[in-house]
Order: sequence, then structure tokens, then C-alpha cells
Amino acid sequence: MIQLRRLFGKNSRQGNWWAPLVLIIGTTAVLIATTVDFATPQNASNLLAQAMPLIIVAIGQMIVIVLAGMDLSVGSVMSMTTAILALDGSPFVLIPLVFLAAIAVGLTNGIAIVKLNVHPIIATLSMQFIVIGIAQLLRPVAGGSVPEIVVTMVTGRIFGMPTTILWGIAVIAIAWKVLHGSRFGLHLFAIGGGVASGQTDAAHNYGLPDQRIVIKAYVLSALFAALAGVFIAGRIASGDPSVGSQFALDSITAVAIGGTQLSGGVGGLHGTILGAILMALLANGMNLANLSAFLQGAIKGGILLLVIALQSRKRMGL
Amino acid sequence: MQPIVSMINVTKAFGPNIAVNAVSLEILPGTVRALMGENGAGKSTLMKVLAGVHQPDTGTIAIKGIDQSFANPKQALAAGVSTVFQELSLLPNLTIAENMFLGREIIGRFGVPNNPSMEDATRAALAELGLTIDPGTLVSELSIAERQFVEIAHGIKADADVFVLDEPTAALNAADVEVLNAQIRRLKAAGKAVIYISHRMDEIFNICDDVTVMKDGQHVATTTLDTLTPDGLIALMVGRELRDLFPDRSPSSGVVRLKCQDLLISATATPVSFDLHAGEILGLAGLEGQGQQDIARSMIGQHTAISGTLTIGVHCISMPVSSSSGVRDMQELKLGFVPEDRKEEGLLIGASISENIGISLQAARFAYQTVTQFKDLVAQTMRDMNVKAESPAANVGSLSGGNQQKVLLGRYLASDMDILIIEEPTRGVDIGAKAEIYKLLRALADDGKAIIVLSRETVELIGLCDRLLVVHDQAVVREIEGDVATEHAILDAALNP
Repeated sequence: MIQLRRLFGKNSRQGNWWAPLVLIIGTTAVLIATTVDFATPQNASNLLAQAMPLIIVAIGQMIVIVLAGMDLSVGSVMSMTTAILALDGSPFVLIPLVFLAAIAVGLTNGIAIVKLNVHPIIATLSMQFIVIGIAQLLRPVAGGSVPEIVVTMVTGRIFGMPTTILWGIAVIAIAWKVLHGSRFGLHLFAIGGGVASGQTDAAHNYGLPDQRIVIKAYVLSALFAALAGVFIAGRIASGDPSVGSQFALDSITAVAIGGTQLSGGVGGLHGTILGAILMALLANGMNLANLSAFLQGAIKGGILLLVIALQSRKRMGL
Repeated sequence: MQPIVSMINVTKAFGPNIAVNAVSLEILPGTVRALMGENGAGKSTLMKVLAGVHQPDTGTIAIKGIDQSFANPKQALAAGVSTVFQELSLLPNLTIAENMFLGREIIGRFGVPNNPSMEDATRAALAELGLTIDPGTLVSELSIAERQFVEIAHGIKADADVFVLDEPTAALNAADVEVLNAQIRRLKAAGKAVIYISHRMDEIFNICDDVTVMKDGQHVATTTLDTLTPDGLIALMVGRELRDLFPDRSPSSGVVRLKCQDLLISATATPVSFDLHAGEILGLAGLEGQGQQDIARSMIGQHTAISGTLTIGVHCISMPVSSSSGVRDMQELKLGFVPEDRKEEGLLIGASISENIGISLQAARFAYQTVTQFKDLVAQTMRDMNVKAESPAANVGSLSGGNQQKVLLGRYLASDMDILIIEEPTRGVDIGAKAEIYKLLRALADDGKAIIVLSRETVELIGLCDRLLVVHDQAVVREIEGDVATEHAILDAALNP
């Protein structure tokens, strides 16, 4: 189905993903050597659970970044999701409600960008304010309780393994299908490639329904953000309107570290996942090592700069 | 025999500009039609209508007798019209096979695109053109020639009936051209129609059967090529009278203001050398897009030349000129550059006349000095240029094209430049203002300035300039004195180097 050459070949449109891989290996080695609590099964399980929300939301972010867009509302969608789940009600009402709300957010973003010609940053930034307002309305202070079934789905064990692993497999399978195993994914790259090379009408001239594709992409981004929100809600078992605040920028960081170009058309799923894992690994390791907040921030920023500098931003097609 | 393509009374206008005016074109199967005309004749627009990029305002298009209308190029291709434009439209981050099948992908199991089948089909289509490029290659890795061939293969694969090739050999070497010609002959033998737009006479007489000539958006003539000579063809393309709106020429003073030596604008160009004298108006003539603009813009760094030397007075400047500081550096040497797009590149549209005229002077001063209005200078300039406006405070955007152009030229007059390079001095300007601008330019020359003019209107260059350098294929192919120049002579020099 997908040739190995395309995944790992030179100049493939997967983007530069070996940088985060090398850094993950390096950081893991350093952490194992220096930090006592790192190499324990408990920490490994923690690490996976800490990485999962970022992986999920970064995948959604990648979908719109490949189109040369951006979604700043993902963090607030995560917060709103936990707020909805912490409402009084049956999970069979609340869970669908979460996804319906996400679809509404995604549609609004997509329509504003495509039909009203609002710049993606402005459109999704405006949504971010509106959605966080909704989250705060539903749950002004952290608290409430999330349905049991959600908590079990996230923190339970199945066949002796933490369910997190199943989450990972399921999410990666769906993401791969969307991005690399479907006509839709190819069209995403086609549209992004057109924008990146200055031929903004190219995809449209090929007869692709580019407006519909862009709207669908923003809906998917919101849905992935909601899924990440469900995961977090299961972990903290309560609603929290501030829980998603870092995730908008963090997801963009993970996507960028993974080699996806913000100018569009270039990127690979494995890169994004590696980028998210690297960030979770750094956070986990730096916490265990008790590094100061300043040092943590400086390292995070430094790594981002380093990885981006190593990527050659070739102008596509020119 | 029924025509395979039939365009009847097609008109396409963009605002007030009628690019294609009631043009009809019929092509029989198994023939190659050349489409020729001067700059602005409407050839590209007509083909874009056929290709589905533009929709005609009036007129009909029929392919194989069936009326069609195309909302986009994909529909045109589905109806049998394949077009390879000069601005290629392949997506660089997709492979050749993905580009070929975009929008009609072969889907395998579980909805996953079946890449091996698409690549096999692509490989076969490329092989028909004698190409062995791996269909899994990203388009960004292909050379321009290879990309053109891929686009042609795309049309062949789509089983098109009509192939439109817009300047197909622009980026091809002789060997590639032969490959292309072999393909065109194959298409001809298979009963397809080929429309071939080119300025290269030898190719046209080599591969085409008939020619359609357009001028100013209208159809001039359609005739077979076997009875026509290159001279006869040029005569068909040209034919406007020289209007009597140019002031008399006057001799130059002989002092060399600017010496250009061995300017190389690109790796495939020929070095260009010329001298520019005080009191002289020098024109860069020839067909559009042959390098005139690159030559002019190399002087101020807006085009990165490869090598060459400019000598202005005692200053020796070696190419390439810095693109970030070139304009300012040249202004300090009293060389002013007037760009062709006055709305986007020349004037500050939201600003007043006095601000626009004074801007060069302001820019030359220290950044934190208090602003001077230069009132007297602006008033004097407006008088000299005969700018008709309520007051110097009027917004430049509200002026007519002619007045806007005069304000733009006035800026350089006010900053007292010695050398002026002017692109399209009367673009979008009515006849009356044109005459005024020509008088002004001649007066500036008489005053000792040296002027280089670029224009797509050959008539303008002939009337205005003392000397003409005919530029073709990035080289100066001939120098013609203004008083003996004719459009025929220029085209002849360009097309028969």
C-alpha cells in the first residue's frame, strides 16, 4: 500500500522527521542515565498517558497545517469537552454532545475561513475566545464529576494492558487512514502544495472541491481536539475550563518539530507523533529532574528552534 | 470533414479591456494550427477560454460538433481539450502519478488510493513520449522540460482530441524539441488537432500546417503556411499606422551617462552591452518577455543578474546589484527607475499628489528630520508635468490614468535624476495624455537627461526613441536607429536573428 521509499526516501513529502527521532533517542538515553525515577514501568505508563492528549490534538492540528492553515481553537475545545462531560447527565447524552459541539466549532471555523475569507489565525482565535467562554459558563471552576464509563475507558486496563495503548493504536490507525490512506488526504496535500508553491488555484483547477475539503479539515481538527478532551476528562475525572490552555500552541509546536511545514503541502503522520512524544518526554523528564520552570521553558524553546533550523525549508517546486 | 474544434464569435473582456473580440477559430482533425500575434493580441486569452480557465462572455465552443461550456480546466480536459500553458500547473509536492490522477484517483481496497496501478498507467503514458522517468518522483524534482513533457503526457493519457501548446519549446533544448515534434506528428497522424502558440518562426514553418493571426483581440487572417513566407507572416501580424503624436527627435550630446558591459541576466542569456548618452532616448524593443524587463531591472537589483558591469560617471558597479538597497543606491547616483505597474509598484495610492511627488526627496533625507512639504517644488513639478488636479493635497487614487502617470514621472523630475529607466511610460493612458508624456520625455532628454524606455507598444518605441535595441531570447540581436525603424524591421530582427 504505501511504499517504504515514500516514507523514508529523500525529498518525500513526509517532511524532516528524523530530527525528533534522534532527539527522542538522545533524551531517553540521557534521562535513563541521570534520573533515577525515569526508567520505571510506572513512569512509562505515566509518560504514555501524558503524551496521548498531545498526540491526538497534534494530529488534528496537522490536518489543517498541511492545508497551510492553523487552528488556535483546539485548546478551548478540549476545555469545553471536559466541562460538558462534567455536567449532570447520562454519558449517552453527554458524549455525543461533546462531538456535536466540536463539529459546530469546526464548521464555524471552516465556513469563516472559506466563505468569509477570514484568515485562519483570526477565525480560530475568535472561536477560541467564544469556546472558552462556553467552557467557563458550563464550569466556572474546576470540579464536577465525569461519567464513570469515560474514566474507565481512559484509565482502565484491558487484556492486562492499559487502555491507553488501545487509544494509541486506534488514533494512529484513524489518522493514517485520513492523511495517507485516502483520497481526502491526498487532496489535503494537493491543496496545501498549491498554496505553498504560490499556485493557489491549482487544486481548484483540477476540479477538486477545495472549499468542502478545507471545511472538513477544520471539523476534523475540532473532533480530534474533542477526543483529546475526552481523554483528559477521563484522567482528571472532572471538568476544568483551563485544562486545554497550553494545547493550541503545544500542538503547533509538536507538528512543526515533526517536520510538517507551516507553509503547507509537506508533512507526515509519523513526524507529528514523534514530535508530540518528544515534547511529552521532555516535560516528563524535566519534571522528574526537578528543573526550574524557566529552564523547562528555555529547553522547550531551544529544541523547537534547533529542530526548525535543521529542516531545510526548500521552496517547493521552484 | 467536420472541424474537431469550433470556436465561434468568442468574446472575452476584463472590465473595459476587450481581450478577445468576436474571434472564430475552426480546426480540422489531423492538423497543426499555429496561433500568432503581437503582444496583447489575445492569443493566450483565447486559449484560456478554450482550456476552461476563463469563461467567454459571448460565443460558443464545440468539440467534435458538440457544444460545450467549461467551468474549469478539469471539465475542459474531460471534454477532450488538453492544454499545456507556460505557467505549469503541476503540484510540486505530489508525484507524477498523483498529479496525473488527481481528482480521478484509482481507489483500491478499504478506500486507499491504489498507487501501484496509478503508477503503472502513468509509466505507460510517459513511455509513449519516450520518457523513462519514475512516476513515483515528486514533481518538484523534475526539470522544467520534464514537467512540460509530463503535462503533455497528461493530455495524451486523458485521450484528448485537442492539444493546445503555449510556447512549448521555451525551456527545451534541440533534442527535446525533436522529441516534441515527433509526438506532435504522432498526434496529427492519430487525427488529433494541435494548436501551437510560439514566436519561433523556424518551428512554426517546420511543424505547423496553418496559421491564425490575431491582432488587438481580433482575428486577422487564417491561412496555410505552405504558400506563406516569414516576411508575409510578419506583414500579417503588423499593420497599425504610426500615429502623428510624437515630438521630433533631437540629437544626443554624445556624453556617455551609463555604460553597460556584458550584462548577463541568466545562465542561458547572451551578454548585453550598450552605451546610454545624455540627451538620448533608448528603447528596448522586441516581443514581450524576451528579457527586456530583466535587463532594465538588473540595473536596480530587482532582477538578480549573474554578472556584468555598470559604469555611471566615475562609479563602477558590478552585478548583481543588491536587491534590498539597489533602488536607493542607484538614486544616489541619480538613476531613477519608473516601474510599469504604477498602482502596485510606483505610486502610493492612498497618499496625496504632493506626498507622492516628494517621496523620493523625503527618502533621501535623514530619517528623523522634520518633514518639509516641498510645497514650491511640488507646485512647480505639477505645472511642468501639467497634472490636472484640484490641489496638491488631492488623493492620487482619484486621478485619471494619465494624470497618475504624470505624477509618477514628476517624482523623478523633482528629485532631479540624470538617468531614467521607464517601463511602459503610457500604460493605461489615453491619447491626449500620451502625447503630453512623449513631449515631456523629449524635453527631459533635451535637458541633458538620458532615458531608457521599455514598452510593449512597438509604435510608441519607434515614435519616441532615438535608438532601439531589439531584444530577443535574452540577447540584443540588433540596433536600429529610431528614424528608420519600422515595426516590420523590429519583428524581422526579433524573429530572424
